[in-house]
Amino acid sequence: MRQTMIALAIAALAGSAQAQNGDTITLGASVQLTGRLANTGRYYGDGYALAIEQVNKKGGVSVGGKKYKLALQILDNQSDVNLSVRQYTQLLSENKVNFLLGPFASDFALSDSAVAEKNEVPMVQGGGASTQIFSRGFKYVFGTLPPADDYFSSTIQMLQKLDPKPKKFVLIAADDSFDVSVAKGTRKLLKEAGFDLVLDKEFRENNSEFSSLLSLAKSVNPDVILWAGHETEALNFIRQAKSLGVTPKMMYSFTVGVPTADFRSGLGKDAEYTFGMTPWLPSASLKDDYFGDAEQFNKMYVERFKYPPDYHAASAAADIEAFAKAISAAGSIEPKKVRDALAKVDFPSLYGRVKFAENGQIHLPQTVIQIQENKVVPVFADDFLHKPRYPMPAWNKR
Amino acid sequence: MTLFGQILANGILLGGLYGLMALGMGLVWGVLNIVNLAHGAFIMLGGYAVYFLFTLAGIDPFLALPIAMVGMFCFGYLLQMFVLNFIVRSALLNTLLITFGFDVVFVYLAQLLFTADFRTINPTYSGSSVDLAGVTIPYSTAGAFLVAILLAGALYVFLDQTRTGRAIRATAQNLTAARLYGVNPRRIYALTFGVGAALAGAAGGLFGVVSQITPYIGITLTAKSFVIAILGGLDKPLGVIVGGLVLGIAEAMTDLYLGSTFKDIISFGLLVLILVARPAQLVGRA
Repeated sequence: MRQTMIALAIAALAGSAQAQNGDTITLGASVQLTGRLANTGRYYGDGYALAIEQVNKKGGVSVGGKKYKLALQILDNQSDVNLSVRQYTQLLSENKVNFLLGPFASDFALSDSAVAEKNEVPMVQGGGASTQIFSRGFKYVFGTLPPADDYFSSTIQMLQKLDPKPKKFVLIAADDSFDVSVAKGTRKLLKEAGFDLVLDKEFRENNSEFSSLLSLAKSVNPDVILWAGHETEALNFIRQAKSLGVTPKMMYSFTVGVPTADFRSGLGKDAEYTFGMTPWLPSASLKDDYFGDAEQFNKMYVERFKYPPDYHAASAAADIEAFAKAISAAGSIEPKKVRDALAKVDFPSLYGRVKFAENGQIHLPQTVIQIQENKVVPVFADDFLHKPRYPMPAWNKR
Repeated sequence: MTLFGQILANGILLGGLYGLMALGMGLVWGVLNIVNLAHGAFIMLGGYAVYFLFTLAGIDPFLALPIAMVGMFCFGYLLQMFVLNFIVRSALLNTLLITFGFDVVFVYLAQLLFTADFRTINPTYSGSSVDLAGVTIPYSTAGAFLVAILLAGALYVFLDQTRTGRAIRATAQNLTAARLYGVNPRRIYALTFGVGAALAGAAGGLFGVVSQITPYIGITLTAKSFVIAILGGLDKPLGVIVGGLVLGIAEAMTDLYLGSTFKDIISFGLLVLILVARPAQLVGRA
């Protein structure tokens, strides 16, 4: 027994020594594996892991003629921002990772990216969409989620083309970094489109009680409710809307949650008619150098993790690919050179075209989706893809 | 005016559930002098119990409540009998630490066993409501409110009228005297903690009907229960319900007049105010 233990210990030591030798490039991240955001955080842990395996399967990354394998170092931030900042510092100072990947959610990315910038180590993060992250003039931070300000832009475009055309809008948004950005952008978009914003309310992040806000919304009798927050809050909002008999006359749309399988299983039939958006759908038309295409990525992901990916997972995989491409283009693992190469990458991926703007953020169009017959149906992107079920019926008429 | 009436009704209905959440915490705190930081985790476990009884065995959540309560009672009883009894009369910090430890263990076990997926208890009537003079009353929240009032009443009668109930109160008031009268404090403590856990379990089941269950709902609920227990007076069941109503209405009104971002400021501000102005709690323990 004891000998086995010693043997195991030696094997473990040897393993860790190998991870440190010259043939691997380690990417480090602190993500929400546990805690209140674990449900979405898992997409990042799993997305990173799958993409790294796939890149290695395809021969790894070649740097100046020499092949390197990618390795992943994941820490669990327990959904705690303060812990997450400490862990990023630890990843650089103790774990000596080469490059950084991001956490989920804008308020995390906002704080964590400062660690990357301060240490001049590039971070590609696929979990923070708030424009705040990219308006600080940082040089080392890149993001693969499209800007939060634009989340509702395709939805508003669609609403201008629908009959009957809505007029009265209600905007309800959480008070965290991402949703504040969404709300700010949406106000501007509504104004430009000539729609009336009759009620504009902010709620506390992690709030689970919406009956008062719903009663307020009901009192102004809106055509459309646009809602920004986290998935768990979206579920509460819809369930309580049903129990209080609140429906907008035309439709409601939610920034997050709608593309996930969880959303449909949590709400059952009540998920029907809900609009949402996604920058990504698992389509075979999205070609990829490592996975083939997005459909195959989707298949491999489901086989491996037993639940379907959504755009968070695809965004995470794109982060890994961006590093792989940039490192080989730079021909070096020196942080500054890789940073310059990241600023120049431009490639098609399972997630869409990866090309960072001047401020480091990607631009991808949001496809409007709707739950129809318990399926996520793409409805609108520049033009109609499927017929939307519109206007949505009141709860007592379903 | 209907808007005001609606929001008042929302606050009252929510307040009843809040009261039930805090009932167990107040009881345990009052009798055992343990501030149970794992109380929210008990609520969460009760929620999962009702969820699984509903989804796997098809038992209506309101009928599943008693089953979950019995389960949680046994769980609480054993926990007190074999663990907490050893430290019950030690410094407050020790009990805080151990219950905090339990909280961490239960929450992470729940994530391992049940995953972080959102669970909702969705009986067919969960979205239905009745209209009273322009005010919409959802059946599920109204049901939760009634159960909360019933359980608080039952607890009141139990503490006031039964021998065991009196023994519990006697133990809280004067341990030595209670012992002289033949009360076995270890058993009484376990019983009280069990009742506290059962009440938390009931609250969890009802919470799952009106909201949703994840392993992480407990932390905020512990904090809310703490505020309410202080507002209401620790071992006064009816006071705790009043405390819950005060908090529920205050939160709903904050939503209407100040904006929901101010919710936490109001509820914890209320707590500070009460502690400064009337340390003997809202309904009074004096």
